Amino acid sequence: MRIREDKCVGCGACIPYCPVSSIVRDGGKAAVDEDECVDCGVCLRADICPAEAIFMPDECFEYPRAIRMQFSDPGVQHPNFKSWGRGTEEAKTNDVTGKFGRGEYGLLLEFGRPGTGTRLSEIEKVTTVIRNMGLDILKDNPLYGLLEEDLSGRFKPEYLNEKILSGILEFRFGEDELEEALGKLIPLLKDLDTVVSVGLVTRFADDASIPVIGKLAKMGLAVRPNAKINVGLGRPLVDR
Amino acid sequence: MSHSLHRYGPVESLRGDYCIYARAAKGVNRGEGVGDKLRKILAIYTSSGVVNFGSSHGGKSFSNGLEAEEYAKTLDDSYGIIATFDDRESVKKVLTKAGEANTGISIVVSGLIDEVVKVAHECGLKPHTATLSLGIFGHTEKLPEDDVLEMVTMCGHSLVSTGLIKDVIAKVKAGKLSPEDAALIASKPCTCGIFNTSRCAKKFREILERESERAD
Repeated sequence: MRIREDKCVGCGACIPYCPVSSIVRDGGKAAVDEDECVDCGVCLRADICPAEAIFMPDECFEYPRAIRMQFSDPGVQHPNFKSWGRGTEEAKTNDVTGKFGRGEYGLLLEFGRPGTGTRLSEIEKVTTVIRNMGLDILKDNPLYGLLEEDLSGRFKPEYLNEKILSGILEFRFGEDELEEALGKLIPLLKDLDTVVSVGLVTRFADDASIPVIGKLAKMGLAVRPNAKINVGLGRPLVDR
Repeated sequence: MSHSLHRYGPVESLRGDYCIYARAAKGVNRGEGVGDKLRKILAIYTSSGVVNFGSSHGGKSFSNGLEAEEYAKTLDDSYGIIATFDDRESVKKVLTKAGEANTGISIVVSGLIDEVVKVAHECGLKPHTATLSLGIFGHTEKLPEDDVLEMVTMCGHSLVSTGLIKDVIAKVKAGKLSPEDAALIASKPCTCGIFNTSRCAKKFREILERESERAD
Protein backbone atom coordinates (compact mmCIF):
# COMPACT_ATOMS: atom_id res chain seq x y z
CA MET A 1 0.00 0.00 0.00
CA ARG A 2 1.08 3.55 -0.45
CA ILE A 3 -0.18 7.02 0.48
CA ARG A 4 0.25 9.84 -2.02
CA GLU A 5 2.22 12.47 -0.14
CA ASP A 6 0.90 15.30 -2.30
CA LYS A 7 -2.70 14.33 -1.55
CA CYS A 8 -2.47 13.35 2.14
CA VAL A 9 -3.97 15.97 4.43
CA GLY A 10 -2.32 14.51 7.54
CA CYS A 11 -5.58 13.79 9.39
CA GLY A 12 -4.30 10.39 10.55
CA ALA A 13 -7.71 8.72 10.13
CA CYS A 14 -6.11 5.72 8.39
CA ILE A 15 -3.51 5.05 11.10
CA PRO A 16 -5.61 2.98 13.54
CA TYR A 17 -6.92 0.69 10.80
CA CYS A 18 -3.60 -0.94 9.92
CA PRO A 19 -3.46 -4.48 11.40
CA VAL A 20 0.36 -4.39 11.55
CA SER A 21 0.84 -0.72 12.52
CA SER A 22 2.72 0.06 9.32
CA ILE A 23 1.15 3.50 8.79
CA VAL A 24 3.17 6.16 10.57
CA ARG A 25 3.24 9.94 10.81
CA ASP A 26 6.04 11.44 8.76
CA GLY A 27 6.44 15.22 8.68
CA GLY A 28 2.78 15.94 9.36
CA LYS A 29 1.57 13.39 6.79
CA ALA A 30 0.70 9.72 7.01
CA ALA A 31 3.09 7.32 5.27
CA VAL A 32 3.22 3.56 4.82
CA ASP A 33 6.34 1.69 5.92
CA GLU A 34 6.25 -0.49 2.81
CA ASP A 35 8.67 -3.08 4.17
CA GLU A 36 6.34 -3.72 7.12
CA CYS A 37 3.08 -3.42 5.14
CA VAL A 38 1.40 -6.73 4.26
CA ASP A 39 -0.83 -5.32 1.47
CA CYS A 40 -4.04 -6.49 3.16
CA GLY A 41 -5.92 -3.48 1.78
CA VAL A 42 -7.77 -2.72 5.03
CA CYS A 43 -6.82 0.98 4.97
CA LEU A 44 -8.12 1.32 1.41
CA ARG A 45 -11.36 -0.61 1.96
CA ALA A 46 -12.05 1.36 5.14
CA ASP A 47 -12.80 4.28 2.84
CA ILE A 48 -11.85 6.80 5.51
CA CYS A 49 -9.29 8.88 3.62
CA PRO A 50 -10.92 12.26 2.87
CA ALA A 51 -8.37 12.92 0.11
CA GLU A 52 -8.43 9.46 -1.53
CA ALA A 53 -4.67 9.36 -1.08
CA ILE A 54 -4.38 5.61 -0.33
CA PHE A 55 -3.70 3.21 -3.20
CA MET A 56 -2.17 -0.14 -4.08
CA PRO A 57 0.86 0.54 -6.34
CA ASP A 58 1.64 -1.73 -9.30
CA GLU A 59 4.73 -3.16 -7.54
CA CYS A 60 2.45 -4.90 -5.03
CA PHE A 61 1.14 -7.15 -7.83
CA GLU A 62 4.64 -8.25 -8.91
CA TYR A 63 6.40 -11.31 -7.52
CA PRO A 64 7.70 -11.99 -4.97
CA ARG A 65 5.79 -9.15 -3.28
CA ALA A 66 2.46 -10.36 -4.72
CA ILE A 67 2.29 -13.13 -2.12
CA ARG A 68 1.72 -10.48 0.55
CA MET A 69 -1.78 -9.66 -0.62
CA GLN A 70 -2.54 -13.32 -1.39
CA PHE A 71 -1.91 -14.25 2.26
CA SER A 72 -3.26 -11.05 3.80
CA ASP A 73 -6.39 -10.02 1.89
CA PRO A 74 -9.02 -12.81 2.01
CA GLY A 75 -10.61 -11.34 -1.11
CA VAL A 76 -7.52 -12.15 -3.22
CA GLN A 77 -7.20 -15.62 -4.68
CA HIS A 78 -4.04 -17.73 -4.49
CA PRO A 79 -3.50 -18.07 -8.28
CA ASN A 80 -1.88 -21.53 -8.26
CA PHE A 81 -4.05 -22.95 -5.55
CA LYS A 82 -7.35 -21.55 -6.88
CA SER A 83 -8.60 -20.71 -3.42
CA TRP A 84 -8.86 -17.81 -1.05
CA GLY A 85 -7.69 -17.42 2.52
CA ARG A 86 -4.77 -18.68 4.51
CA GLY A 87 -5.06 -22.44 4.80
CA THR A 88 -7.13 -25.41 3.77
CA GLU A 89 -10.48 -27.00 4.32
CA GLU A 90 -8.87 -28.70 7.37
CA ALA A 91 -11.67 -30.37 9.33
CA LYS A 92 -14.54 -28.32 7.94
CA THR A 93 -15.45 -31.06 5.48
CA ASN A 94 -13.90 -34.03 7.28
CA ASP A 95 -17.29 -35.74 7.54
CA VAL A 96 -17.24 -36.23 3.75
CA THR A 97 -13.51 -36.31 2.96
CA GLY A 98 -12.25 -38.49 5.80
CA LYS A 99 -9.02 -36.52 5.70
CA PHE A 100 -8.46 -37.17 9.41
CA GLY A 101 -9.43 -40.64 10.63
CA ARG A 102 -9.64 -42.03 14.16
CA GLY A 103 -6.16 -42.28 15.64
CA GLU A 104 -4.91 -39.43 13.48
CA TYR A 105 -4.40 -35.80 14.31
CA GLY A 106 -3.96 -32.65 12.27
CA LEU A 107 -1.81 -29.86 13.61
CA LEU A 108 -2.49 -26.30 12.42
CA LEU A 109 0.14 -23.68 13.13
CA GLU A 110 -1.04 -20.22 12.15
CA PHE A 111 1.91 -17.86 12.13
CA GLY A 112 1.40 -14.12 12.56
CA ARG A 113 -2.07 -14.24 13.99
CA PRO A 114 -3.41 -12.40 15.87
CA GLY A 115 -2.28 -8.98 14.81
CA THR A 116 1.47 -9.29 14.35
CA GLY A 117 2.13 -10.62 10.84
CA THR A 118 5.17 -12.70 10.03
CA ARG A 119 8.09 -12.96 7.63
CA LEU A 120 8.37 -16.31 5.85
CA SER A 121 11.84 -16.62 7.40
CA GLU A 122 10.15 -17.12 10.79
CA ILE A 123 7.92 -19.88 9.41
CA GLU A 124 10.96 -21.56 7.84
CA LYS A 125 12.48 -22.05 11.30
CA VAL A 126 9.64 -24.50 11.89
CA THR A 127 9.20 -26.05 8.42
CA THR A 128 12.82 -27.25 8.37
CA VAL A 129 12.36 -28.95 11.74
CA ILE A 130 9.10 -30.53 10.59
CA ARG A 131 10.85 -32.01 7.57
CA ASN A 132 13.75 -33.26 9.72
CA MET A 133 11.19 -35.03 11.88
CA GLY A 134 9.92 -36.79 8.75
CA LEU A 135 6.45 -35.23 8.98
CA ASP A 136 4.69 -34.33 5.76
CA ILE A 137 3.36 -30.82 5.33
CA LEU A 138 -0.05 -31.17 3.67
CA LYS A 139 0.02 -30.12 0.04
CA ASP A 140 -3.46 -28.59 -0.21
CA ASN A 141 -2.17 -25.46 1.48
CA PRO A 142 -0.99 -22.24 -0.17
CA LEU A 143 2.27 -22.11 1.82
CA TYR A 144 3.28 -25.47 0.36
CA GLY A 145 3.74 -24.01 -3.11
CA LEU A 146 6.34 -21.53 -1.83
CA LEU A 147 8.63 -24.27 -0.48
CA GLU A 148 11.71 -25.53 -2.30
CA GLU A 149 11.05 -28.75 -4.18
CA ASP A 150 13.89 -30.60 -2.41
CA LEU A 151 11.63 -31.31 0.60
CA SER A 152 14.13 -29.59 2.90
CA GLY A 153 11.40 -27.42 4.37
CA ARG A 154 13.14 -24.27 3.11
CA PHE A 155 11.21 -21.60 1.27
CA LYS A 156 12.37 -20.38 -2.13
CA PRO A 157 14.83 -17.62 -1.24
CA GLU A 158 12.96 -14.84 -3.01
CA TYR A 159 10.03 -15.25 -0.59
CA LEU A 160 11.95 -15.42 2.69
CA ASN A 161 11.78 -11.73 3.56
CA GLU A 162 8.19 -11.26 2.44
CA LYS A 163 5.84 -10.31 5.24
CA ILE A 164 2.30 -11.67 5.37
CA LEU A 165 -0.55 -11.11 7.82
CA SER A 166 -0.68 -14.82 8.58
CA GLY A 167 -0.03 -18.23 7.07
CA ILE A 168 -1.02 -21.69 8.20
CA LEU A 169 1.08 -24.84 8.18
CA GLU A 170 -0.92 -28.00 8.37
CA PHE A 171 0.26 -31.55 8.82
CA ARG A 172 -1.08 -34.89 9.92
CA PHE A 173 0.40 -37.53 12.20
CA GLY A 174 -0.61 -40.66 14.07
CA GLU A 175 -1.66 -41.10 17.69
CA ASP A 176 1.76 -42.53 18.63
CA GLU A 177 3.52 -39.42 17.25
CA LEU A 178 1.52 -36.84 19.21
CA GLU A 179 3.88 -36.47 22.13
CA GLU A 180 7.02 -36.25 20.01
CA ALA A 181 5.50 -33.81 17.49
CA LEU A 182 4.17 -31.37 20.06
CA GLY A 183 7.13 -31.90 22.39
CA LYS A 184 9.53 -30.79 19.66
CA LEU A 185 7.48 -28.12 17.92
CA ILE A 186 5.85 -26.15 20.73
CA PRO A 187 9.17 -25.17 22.42
CA LEU A 188 10.44 -23.87 19.05
CA LEU A 189 7.67 -21.28 18.87
CA LYS A 190 8.84 -19.21 21.83
CA ASP A 191 11.96 -18.09 19.96
CA LEU A 192 10.09 -16.76 16.93
CA ASP A 193 9.67 -13.07 16.23
CA THR A 194 5.93 -13.52 15.81
CA VAL A 195 2.98 -15.22 17.47
CA VAL A 196 1.52 -18.59 16.50
CA SER A 197 -2.07 -19.73 17.08
CA VAL A 198 -2.10 -23.51 17.44
CA GLY A 199 -4.98 -25.82 16.54
CA LEU A 200 -5.37 -29.58 16.67
CA VAL A 201 -7.83 -31.62 14.61
CA THR A 202 -9.21 -34.78 16.17
CA ARG A 203 -12.16 -37.13 15.79
CA PHE A 204 -14.83 -37.40 18.45
CA ALA A 205 -15.15 -40.75 20.23
CA ASP A 206 -18.47 -42.58 19.90
CA ASP A 207 -19.59 -41.21 23.28
CA ALA A 208 -18.93 -37.63 22.01
CA SER A 209 -15.90 -37.23 24.25
CA ILE A 210 -12.57 -35.91 22.93
CA PRO A 211 -9.91 -38.26 24.34
CA VAL A 212 -6.93 -36.21 23.17
CA ILE A 213 -7.79 -33.44 25.66
CA GLY A 214 -6.63 -35.68 28.52
CA LYS A 215 -3.43 -36.59 26.66
CA LEU A 216 -2.67 -32.92 26.04
CA ALA A 217 -3.25 -32.11 29.72
CA LYS A 218 -0.63 -34.70 30.68
CA MET A 219 1.78 -32.88 28.37
CA GLY A 220 1.01 -29.59 30.09
CA LEU A 221 -1.04 -28.25 27.17
CA ALA A 222 -4.42 -26.71 27.98
CA VAL A 223 -7.24 -26.73 25.46
CA ARG A 224 -9.38 -23.60 25.11
CA PRO A 225 -13.07 -24.07 25.99
CA ASN A 226 -14.17 -23.13 22.46
CA ALA A 227 -13.56 -25.14 19.30
CA LYS A 228 -14.80 -25.70 15.77
CA ILE A 229 -17.04 -28.72 15.59
CA ASN A 230 -18.09 -30.54 12.44
CA VAL A 231 -21.54 -31.79 13.43
CA GLY A 232 -21.69 -34.62 10.89
CA LEU A 233 -24.35 -33.34 8.49
CA GLY A 234 -22.24 -33.78 5.33
CA ARG A 235 -23.20 -36.53 2.89
CA PRO A 236 -22.08 -39.10 1.91
CA LEU A 237 -20.73 -39.53 5.44
CA VAL A 238 -17.21 -40.91 5.84
CA ASP A 239 -16.48 -42.50 9.20
CA ARG A 240 -13.04 -44.06 9.08
CA MET B 1 -8.01 -21.71 7.67
CA SER B 2 -8.47 -21.80 11.42
CA HIS B 3 -10.56 -18.63 11.17
CA SER B 4 -13.08 -18.58 14.04
CA LEU B 5 -11.12 -21.14 16.06
CA HIS B 6 -8.99 -18.85 18.17
CA ARG B 7 -11.61 -16.48 19.56
CA TYR B 8 -10.28 -15.36 22.88
CA GLY B 9 -12.16 -14.51 26.07
CA PRO B 10 -13.72 -15.92 29.23
CA VAL B 11 -16.41 -18.60 29.06
CA GLU B 12 -19.21 -16.15 29.94
CA SER B 13 -18.30 -13.93 27.00
CA LEU B 14 -17.97 -16.91 24.63
CA ARG B 15 -21.45 -18.07 25.68
CA GLY B 16 -22.78 -15.38 23.34
CA ASP B 17 -20.54 -16.18 20.39
CA TYR B 18 -21.11 -18.83 17.73
CA CYS B 19 -20.13 -19.05 14.06
CA ILE B 20 -21.71 -21.56 11.71
CA TYR B 21 -20.04 -22.62 8.46
CA ALA B 22 -21.58 -24.46 5.55
CA ARG B 23 -18.90 -25.82 3.26
CA ALA B 24 -18.96 -28.02 0.17
CA ALA B 25 -15.88 -30.21 -0.24
CA LYS B 26 -13.60 -30.11 -3.25
CA GLY B 27 -13.96 -33.35 -5.22
CA VAL B 28 -16.95 -34.55 -3.19
CA ASN B 29 -20.04 -32.38 -3.18
CA ARG B 30 -18.84 -29.11 -4.70
CA GLY B 31 -20.15 -28.24 -8.15
CA GLU B 32 -23.47 -27.93 -9.89
CA GLY B 33 -26.35 -27.14 -7.56
CA VAL B 34 -24.17 -25.90 -4.71
CA GLY B 35 -25.37 -22.33 -5.20
CA ASP B 36 -29.00 -23.36 -4.58
CA LYS B 37 -27.99 -25.33 -1.50
CA LEU B 38 -26.03 -22.39 -0.10
CA ARG B 39 -28.97 -20.07 -0.74
CA LYS B 40 -31.16 -22.48 1.22
CA ILE B 41 -28.69 -22.37 4.12
CA LEU B 42 -28.42 -18.59 3.93
CA ALA B 43 -32.21 -18.42 4.27
CA ILE B 44 -31.93 -20.68 7.33
CA TYR B 45 -29.35 -18.33 8.85
CA THR B 46 -31.38 -15.20 8.23
CA SER B 47 -34.53 -16.76 9.68
CA SER B 48 -32.75 -17.91 12.84
CA GLY B 49 -31.53 -14.74 14.53
CA VAL B 50 -28.34 -14.13 12.58
CA VAL B 51 -26.05 -11.37 13.92
CA ASN B 52 -23.68 -11.12 10.98
CA PHE B 53 -22.54 -12.73 7.73
CA GLY B 54 -20.45 -11.48 4.87
CA SER B 55 -18.49 -11.88 1.72
CA SER B 56 -14.70 -11.52 1.55
CA HIS B 57 -14.95 -11.46 -2.23
CA GLY B 58 -17.58 -8.75 -2.13
CA GLY B 59 -15.64 -6.88 0.55
CA LYS B 60 -18.70 -6.27 2.73
CA SER B 61 -20.56 -7.80 5.68
CA PHE B 62 -24.19 -7.71 6.83
CA SER B 63 -23.20 -5.40 9.70
CA ASN B 64 -21.92 -2.93 7.12
CA GLY B 65 -24.72 -3.04 4.60
CA LEU B 66 -24.60 -6.36 2.72
CA GLU B 67 -28.19 -7.47 2.06
CA ALA B 68 -29.04 -11.18 2.08
CA GLU B 69 -30.76 -10.93 -1.32
CA GLU B 70 -27.71 -9.25 -2.85
CA TYR B 71 -25.38 -11.85 -1.30
CA ALA B 72 -27.58 -14.77 -2.40
CA LYS B 73 -27.12 -13.79 -6.05
CA THR B 74 -23.34 -14.31 -5.78
CA LEU B 75 -23.45 -17.84 -4.37
CA ASP B 76 -23.34 -19.78 -7.66
CA ASP B 77 -19.57 -19.29 -7.73
CA SER B 78 -19.11 -20.03 -4.05
CA TYR B 79 -18.47 -23.17 -2.02
CA GLY B 80 -19.24 -22.00 1.48
CA ILE B 81 -20.97 -19.44 3.65
CA ILE B 82 -20.49 -18.38 7.25
CA ALA B 83 -22.69 -16.58 9.74
CA THR B 84 -22.45 -15.41 13.34
CA PHE B 85 -24.96 -15.84 16.17
CA ASP B 86 -25.09 -14.69 19.77
CA ASP B 87 -27.03 -17.44 21.55
CA ARG B 88 -27.37 -21.23 21.65
CA GLU B 89 -31.09 -21.18 20.76
CA SER B 90 -30.26 -19.68 17.37
CA VAL B 91 -27.65 -22.39 16.83
CA LYS B 92 -30.26 -25.01 17.68
CA LYS B 93 -32.69 -23.49 15.19
CA VAL B 94 -30.05 -23.51 12.44
CA LEU B 95 -28.99 -27.11 13.07
CA THR B 96 -32.59 -28.32 13.22
CA LYS B 97 -33.47 -26.61 9.95
CA ALA B 98 -30.19 -27.65 8.29
CA GLY B 99 -30.87 -31.27 9.22
CA GLU B 100 -34.36 -31.05 7.69
CA ALA B 101 -33.01 -29.35 4.55
CA ASN B 102 -30.65 -32.32 4.04
CA THR B 103 -28.33 -30.50 1.63
CA GLY B 104 -25.41 -32.88 2.25
CA ILE B 105 -23.09 -29.91 2.76
CA SER B 106 -20.84 -30.06 5.82
CA ILE B 107 -21.84 -27.86 8.73
CA VAL B 108 -19.34 -26.68 11.34
CA VAL B 109 -20.18 -24.76 14.50
CA SER B 110 -17.57 -22.83 16.39
CA GLY B 111 -18.33 -22.07 20.01
CA LEU B 112 -18.04 -23.49 23.50
CA ILE B 113 -17.36 -27.21 23.14
CA ASP B 114 -19.79 -28.33 25.86
CA GLU B 115 -22.60 -26.17 24.51
CA VAL B 116 -22.14 -27.13 20.87
CA VAL B 117 -22.03 -30.85 21.68
CA LYS B 118 -25.20 -30.54 23.78
CA VAL B 119 -27.03 -28.61 21.08
CA ALA B 120 -25.94 -31.14 18.44
CA HIS B 121 -27.34 -33.96 20.57
CA GLU B 122 -30.59 -32.06 21.11
CA CYS B 123 -30.88 -31.90 17.31
CA GLY B 124 -30.18 -35.62 16.94
CA LEU B 125 -26.70 -35.10 15.49
CA LYS B 126 -23.49 -36.96 16.25
CA PRO B 127 -20.46 -34.60 16.33
CA HIS B 128 -17.84 -35.92 13.91
CA THR B 129 -14.60 -33.93 14.19
CA ALA B 130 -13.27 -31.16 16.41
CA THR B 131 -10.60 -28.58 15.73
CA LEU B 132 -9.31 -27.59 19.15
CA SER B 133 -7.48 -24.41 20.04
CA LEU B 134 -4.34 -24.86 22.13
CA GLY B 135 -3.93 -21.09 22.38
CA ILE B 136 -1.33 -18.57 21.27
CA PHE B 137 2.41 -19.23 21.49
CA GLY B 138 5.56 -17.45 20.41
CA HIS B 139 6.34 -13.80 21.03
CA THR B 140 3.16 -13.18 23.03
CA GLU B 141 4.51 -9.89 24.42
CA LYS B 142 3.34 -8.49 21.08
CA LEU B 143 -0.30 -9.21 21.95
CA PRO B 144 -2.61 -6.48 23.23
CA GLU B 145 -4.37 -6.54 26.62
CA ASP B 146 -7.19 -9.05 27.18
CA ASP B 147 -10.11 -6.68 26.45
CA VAL B 148 -8.64 -5.79 23.07
CA LEU B 149 -7.56 -9.36 22.28
CA GLU B 150 -11.15 -10.55 22.78
CA MET B 151 -12.27 -8.20 20.06
CA VAL B 152 -9.44 -8.51 17.53
CA THR B 153 -9.69 -12.31 17.57
CA MET B 154 -13.29 -12.06 16.38
CA CYS B 155 -11.87 -11.41 12.90
CA GLY B 156 -10.45 -14.72 11.72
CA HIS B 157 -8.23 -13.08 9.12
CA SER B 158 -6.69 -10.68 11.66
CA LEU B 159 -7.95 -7.64 9.76
CA VAL B 160 -9.42 -5.86 12.79
CA SER B 161 -6.46 -4.05 14.29
CA THR B 162 -5.50 -3.37 17.88
CA GLY B 163 -5.26 0.31 16.94
CA LEU B 164 -8.86 0.44 15.68
CA ILE B 165 -10.22 -1.26 18.78
CA LYS B 166 -8.29 1.09 21.08
CA ASP B 167 -9.48 4.05 19.02
CA VAL B 168 -13.16 3.13 19.31
CA ILE B 169 -12.83 2.24 23.01
CA ALA B 170 -11.45 5.74 23.61
CA LYS B 171 -14.39 7.25 21.70
CA VAL B 172 -16.91 5.15 23.65
CA LYS B 173 -15.34 6.24 26.94
CA ALA B 174 -15.42 9.86 25.79
CA GLY B 175 -19.12 9.55 24.92
CA LYS B 176 -18.45 10.20 21.23
CA LEU B 177 -19.73 6.77 20.14
CA SER B 178 -22.40 4.45 21.51
CA PRO B 179 -21.27 0.86 22.18
CA GLU B 180 -23.46 -0.31 19.29
CA ASP B 181 -22.09 2.20 16.78
CA ALA B 182 -18.55 1.48 17.95
CA ALA B 183 -19.12 -2.24 17.33
CA LEU B 184 -20.22 -1.52 13.75
CA ILE B 185 -17.05 0.51 13.11
CA ALA B 186 -14.90 -2.19 14.69
CA SER B 187 -16.53 -4.84 12.49
CA LYS B 188 -15.92 -3.01 9.21
CA PRO B 189 -12.56 -4.56 8.24
CA CYS B 190 -13.94 -8.09 8.82
CA THR B 191 -15.57 -8.61 5.46
CA CYS B 192 -16.47 -12.28 5.87
CA GLY B 193 -18.86 -11.38 8.66
CA ILE B 194 -17.67 -13.48 11.58
CA PHE B 195 -17.14 -10.39 13.73
CA ASN B 196 -19.82 -10.63 16.41
CA THR B 197 -21.13 -7.07 16.75
CA SER B 198 -23.52 -8.10 19.52
CA ARG B 199 -20.70 -9.53 21.68
CA CYS B 200 -18.50 -6.55 20.86
CA ALA B 201 -21.13 -3.98 21.90
CA LYS B 202 -21.66 -5.93 25.13
CA LYS B 203 -17.92 -5.79 25.77
CA PHE B 204 -17.89 -2.02 25.25
CA ARG B 205 -20.76 -1.70 27.76
CA GLU B 206 -18.77 -3.77 30.26
CA ILE B 207 -15.76 -1.51 29.79
CA LEU B 208 -17.95 1.56 30.40
CA GLU B 209 -19.41 -0.03 33.55
CA ARG B 210 -15.91 -0.78 34.85
CA GLU B 211 -14.92 2.82 34.19
CA SER B 212 -18.00 4.05 36.00
CA GLU B 213 -17.32 1.78 39.01
CA ARG B 214 -13.74 3.04 39.17
CA ALA B 215 -14.94 6.64 39.10
CA ASP B 216 -17.35 5.87 41.98
